[in-house]
Amino acid sequence: MSDPFTVRLKTLIITTLKLDGVQPGDIPDDEPLIGSPRFGLDSIDALELVLVIEKEFGVKIGSSEESRQALSSVSALATYLRTRTAGAA
Amino acid sequence: MSSTVDQLPVGIAACECLTPLGNAPATVAALLAGRRALAMQPVLGRDGGDLVPLALLGPMDETLPPRWLPNLRGLAAAIPAGNWGTAREPVIVTSSNFGVGSLYAFTRDHDAHHLAHGTPFASVALLRREFGWGEHITVFSHACVTAHLGLAHAARLLHGGLADRVLVFSFDLVSPFVAGGFHSLKILNRQMPAPYAVRETGSIGLGDGAAFAVLSRAAAPFRLAAHALHNEMFHFTGNQPDGAGFAACAASIATAVGGRRVWVKGHGTGTLEAGRLEAQVVAKQFPGAPLVSWKGSLGHTLGSCGLVELAIALAAMRGGKIPGTVGGQAPSYADSVALEPFASAGFDGTVLTSNAFGGAHAAMLLTHD
Repeated sequence: MSDPFTVRLKTLIITTLKLDGVQPGDIPDDEPLIGSPRFGLDSIDALELVLVIEKEFGVKIGSSEESRQALSSVSALATYLRTRTAGAA
Repeated sequence: MSSTVDQLPVGIAACECLTPLGNAPATVAALLAGRRALAMQPVLGRDGGDLVPLALLGPMDETLPPRWLPNLRGLAAAIPAGNWGTAREPVIVTSSNFGVGSLYAFTRDHDAHHLAHGTPFASVALLRREFGWGEHITVFSHACVTAHLGLAHAARLLHGGLADRVLVFSFDLVSPFVAGGFHSLKILNRQMPAPYAVRETGSIGLGDGAAFAVLSRAAAPFRLAAHALHNEMFHFTGNQPDGAGFAACAASIATAVGGRRVWVKGHGTGTLEAGRLEAQVVAKQFPGAPLVSWKGSLGHTLGSCGLVELAIALAAMRGGKIPGTVGGQAPSYADSVALEPFASAGFDGTVLTSNAFGGAHAAMLLTHD
């Protein structure tokens, strides 16, 4: 079961990308986010997510490689943010 | 998937460029000396933001009249006299930015005077008035292969008997709007670009650039012998992972290269995946051909890069020495990446390539006597 921080991230993803009809529980923790056939997210979605994540959590993602790594899955994103923010979890 | 190649040779009657390092000969001299035009500057100009590598002709913030106009006046002074903009001597204007900096300035400052230069056709109309061109002007914009399309179209006009000479004119000056967009993608970041280098993270620089070429069917020492264009239609910001788009375009231009000994001026922005795919395809398609990119010094001049870098290649060949990949570093994604300058003697052709968002690939073959 996802922890509250992970649920918060999933809710943020759903809201940001306007994933109609998708619930936090529909997004697996460890599946790739970008390129996933289930949700059809692409690099433009990644761009939107990065901007929202930077604003919401006050982090700076430094390169496209770092962005790709952080967005590789919800779990990866949670780990990335936990290591860079105090009190995020 | 195959792509098409036009083998419609045309002579280059004149070709010049403007970069922050100067005109084409001055730019070549600076590149040979290993100078970088790129410097770390705020991504949003006077509004600040992260420091990113930009190569600018002056402050990035848009002015009235637009900052590109005085710069283009100096460049246009080198255009040979002609009845430019007439049916037999048409003008092709290529850019991916045009006056977008003016639109950004309007949204920032709410000064409606900026709107007079904001659209592509408004900025071309200003050029027309400024330089006395007639009405026969065609405008192309297709991201970073734009200038290639203009040059290829000019060759078709000439070979179709529809023109006697064609002026292809290209300009792209960086604005906070465009820099901010590339920064959002995280490919314009706090690192200087190192084209084709194997490293942890990639980065590009952006640069101001403008150039022109006058093409004709008349004999000339340097000729554009062929153009290859290909669109892989894979994804807006991503290439096919196996490099099939790069390979298709390279294979097409290779049919025109034949047995010539060529060097390759690649696209080489400094992003990792595209740099790897490009370097590997070039090494396979053109064995032994040195591969260079100059975007580690000049930054990426976007839609104008094909023509700006053509002018630099011509000036380098006239001088007998080709600048290496300034800003590059070992190891590279292919052994053929030339980090240091090399002599042009012994080469009888140059392949110049550009790639663009949307999966567009372009290549042209430059030959000489």
